[in-house]
This record gives sequence, structure tokens and C-alpha cells, in this order.
Amino acid sequence: MKSLTGKTLLAIATLTYLFMWVPTIILIVFSFSNDKLGIRWEGFTLKWYAEIFNNAAVRNALEMSLIIAIITIVVSTVAGTVTAYGLYKYKFRGKEVIRMSLLLPIVMPYIVTAGALLIFFTRVVDIPLGYPSILIAHISFSTPLAVFIVLGRMQRIDWSLEEASMDLGAGRLTTWRRITLPLLMPAVIASAVLIFPWSFSDFTITFFVAGVGNTTLPIYVYSALRWGETAAVNAIGAIFVALPLIGLLLINFLQKKRVI
Amino acid sequence: MPRGACPERHEILRYAQNDTKRRARNDKGMFFGSFQTAFRIVGEMPGNLREKIRKYLAKQAHLPSVGPVSIWTILFVIAPLGFILYFSFLTAGDFGRILPIFTLENYQALARPVVAEVFLRTLLFSLATTMICLLLGYPLAYFIVMYGGRWRIHLLLLVILPEWTSYLIRLYAIRMLSGRAGLINSALLSLGLISSPLGILYNPSAVVLTLVYGWLPLMVLPVYASLVGLNPSLLEASADLGATPFRRFFTVTLPLTKGGILAGIILVFIPCIGDWLVPLLMGGTKTFMAGNLVYLHFISAANIPAGSTIGVALTAIVLIIMYLCIKAGGKEATERII
Repeated sequence: MKSLTGKTLLAIATLTYLFMWVPTIILIVFSFSNDKLGIRWEGFTLKWYAEIFNNAAVRNALEMSLIIAIITIVVSTVAGTVTAYGLYKYKFRGKEVIRMSLLLPIVMPYIVTAGALLIFFTRVVDIPLGYPSILIAHISFSTPLAVFIVLGRMQRIDWSLEEASMDLGAGRLTTWRRITLPLLMPAVIASAVLIFPWSFSDFTITFFVAGVGNTTLPIYVYSALRWGETAAVNAIGAIFVALPLIGLLLINFLQKKRVI
Repeated sequence: MPRGACPERHEILRYAQNDTKRRARNDKGMFFGSFQTAFRIVGEMPGNLREKIRKYLAKQAHLPSVGPVSIWTILFVIAPLGFILYFSFLTAGDFGRILPIFTLENYQALARPVVAEVFLRTLLFSLATTMICLLLGYPLAYFIVMYGGRWRIHLLLLVILPEWTSYLIRLYAIRMLSGRAGLINSALLSLGLISSPLGILYNPSAVVLTLVYGWLPLMVLPVYASLVGLNPSLLEASADLGATPFRRFFTVTLPLTKGGILAGIILVFIPCIGDWLVPLLMGGTKTFMAGNLVYLHFISAANIPAGSTIGVALTAIVLIIMYLCIKAGGKEATERII
């Protein structure tokens, strides 16, 4: 790293890392500050974290976000795995069309998806805004993610193991349960870990289809931001920053334990 | 499925139709009648037809696995998009009603100076953001690949992690830092460098910088992937042939990572062009982007046809950009998007 190029690169990289991380690090630091507005350092406190659990509005929002994220993870990973299996194993007409349409929710601008879903739910079909609409929206944009992650894994696993199992007399279902699923498990877990922050912290689409009075955690943060109630938001933010880290450590732990 | 593509299917259908007509005479009510008919059809079917049904079903073996999600996608992804396309050609009535009167007025309204200005600004901001992301992200990815050594994965994770954090929370963090009473201002004030708080927020550069902050990781990832996939012997060969490091970068490395760059451009450009939170929270009305218009039309003004038209226009822009990038970057760009 002695060359001029190396030094320049190091400088750019350092600055970019600082740019990406300083705001969130300061957010975390100030979540421990006693200051009411959360922008001045006035001594260490944990009261904002206690506030998350004492404040009913925050607690309800957290609960709603968690319920939605968990249902979305379960439905999306199962549906995604099954679909990826079908897309990989069978040859049929319209396969490319299905792959392309699965890309749609990923590449469409969020605001267009959000608006289209809201209009669809309220003007075309009568789906109540709240849990049903939010769940439909989240499952729609999470399932493709699972499909593509599992498809990526399928291209790398040794399918002769499946044939061997059937040759040795195992039925289709047994083979799927004992051979195929364990082989796909890393991708299934990875998609679950990826979908969690996606669903848990999605704002735009949830905000559009949530309807009146249904507050998820990001929506709570948004209203606090807009109407200037910043007391506990720093602590909530710190949790949002910590979540993916926890997910990452979880994957690492499972890999060490050889679960996946 | 086109006619005649699967002859067995038509034979089955014709047989069923004739049979239903025959049985209709001694009708036993809609529900039970049709059940009985169904059983009778299967029971009386000639052997070769039953064989054909079996064959037909065997051809559709993919349906149980691919079917449910395809139906879901048609219902909740394609249908909503189809409906906003449909609504964009209709007339807006009073109180948020949609009148079924065909019109092109919504599209003509896009050319009005007020709206055109917003679209122009959206494109400009998105382009500027994408360029800055490329100028910061490429060197960063290059640094991680060339000098990362055994810390490569950790350095890459430091890039990815912010992307997994809530976008809204990250915007909140930036605002906390740069607001009028924010940390930057209070630090500068207490150091005596300025006498009154600076207006850092609420201008175009604040919007673009925040967009860069939000989407930079999406540029680094595909570029990193294509740099890692680079064949080192090509670089050695060009060095052996006497190319200077500078020239080697521009004639070998850069062209070979074109796919990653184009994928990065798509990945940054798309969320930028649809963004509405950054202008709302960092910019104010003078920097509103197309996404804000969608929000205003759909939620505040309840003018669904107008909002749909802007949504359709945004989608069209995204599709054109994607098409151009994929055409220029070939298969690699497509693969790196996912």
C-alpha cells in the first residue's frame, strides 16, 4: 500500500466508510444520552430503551412489525423454495415469463408498487387495509427474493445425491425430506435472514397499504420524525442498526455448529 | 395455450361437453348434478382417453410447485400494475372517484411545465447520485479486492450492513447530524467557526448526498463481484507486455468489469428515481421528485388517474434504463442484478 495509487485508494475508502457509518454510530451513541431531544450529550442513561417497552404505542408497533415479519418469512421462504424447485427441475413453456415476472417486484420503484397496491386493494378488490393488505404486500416482494437465493444454491448442489437416494429405494417425499431439503437449507436460512430486515424495516409500501391506525415500527418512527417526538426514536434506531448484525452473527453461529 | 398444442386436452373437453349436454335432461340440481356428471365421465371414459389424461397431467408436473406463486404474482403484482395502467387513461371525478371515460389528458398533463420540471429534476438527481456512487463505489470495491487481504469479507460486510438497516432510520440519523440544531451545526458553533447555524438541509445537494448515502452499497456489491471474478492472469499478461498500471486499468480492468458497473448503475438508479422520502425529509417542496407527486396524487388529492399516469411514466423510465444497461452489459449485468 506504499504506492501513490494505494494511498489514494485508502483515503477514498476510509472517507467512504466514515460517510456510511458515522451517522448511524452517532445515532447509537446518542441513544444513551440523557438529553430529551436526543441531539446533545447529557450523561449516560438506558431510559430510552426502557421507554420502548413502557410506551404502549411503541410496544404495539413493535409487536405488529414482528408478527408481520415472522408470517412473511415463513410463507415466503416456503413458497420461494417450492417455486425455485419447480423452476429448476422442470422444463415447461412460459418458464422465462415466470422468472421475469418474479423480477418485477424487485426492480419496480417502491413508490409505484406501493401506489398500485393501495389502489388495487381499495378500488378494485375489497381487501381490508391492515394486517391482510400489509401481509399480501410483504409476501409479494419477499417471495421472489427467496426464489432467487434458493435458485442460486440449486445451481451449485450435487443432484446425483437425490438420484442415489431414489435408487436405494427411498420414496419421493423421503428423498425430499432427507436429502434435498438439507442440501438447500443454507439458502433457505439465508433467505429467511435476508427477508427479516426487508419486511421488518420496510416503510414506503407498508405506509401506503397500512390504512388508518395501523402502526408498524417504521411508521411510528416516521410520525415521530415528522411531528417531532424524538425522545425514544434514537433507541429504536439503534435496534434497527443492530438487527442485521444479530442476523449475521446467527448465521455465523449456525455455520460453526454445522446446522447449515 | 394455442389451439391444437395439446390435442388430448381438446378431446377431453369435447367429451365432457357432449356428456354434460346428454345428462342435462335429467338434471338433479347444479351442484350434485355436476359432481355426478364428473364421476360418470371418468367411469365411462374409454381406456385410451384415460391414458391420455394421465399423459396430460404428467406433462403438467411443474404445476404444483410453480403454480401457486405464479397465481399469486398474477393477482398481486401484475394485476395492480395493469390496473394503474388502465386507470391512467380514465378521467378523475369529484371526491376521488374514477369516471370510466377514456382520455389522454393525464398523459398530456405530464408535459405541463410544473410536472415536466419535477421529472427533469428527478432524472438529474438520479443521474448525479448514480455518478457519485460510481466514483466512490468503484474505488472502494477496488480497494477491498486489491488490498483487503484476509479482511476482505469483513470490509465487504461493513458495506452491506447499512443496506440491511432501515432506510428511514438512516435518513433520521443524517437529519440528526445536519439539522439546524444538529450536531454539525452545534459543533461548528461551539468551535466559533460560524456565528449562526448553517442551512445544510433543504437544498438539492443535501438531497443528492443523502441519496448517495442511502444507495451506495448497491453500487459496491456488483462491482466487487465482477472484480473478484477477474482473471488475474489477464492482468499479469498486460503487465508483461509492458502496460503501465494506469493503462492496464483502463484497457483491461475497466472493460472487463463493465457488467458489474452497469448492474450497479441499474441498482442505484431505480431506487433513486422512485425515491420520495429523501426529498420529503431533506429537501422540502422545492426539491420534490416524481415519487412525491405519486404520493400527493394518491393520498392527499385522491386523483387516482393522475397518480397512475406518473407511476406508469416512472415505470417506463425504469424499463428503458434497464433495457439499455442490459443491452450494453449483456448477460453479466443481468446476472449481477440478482
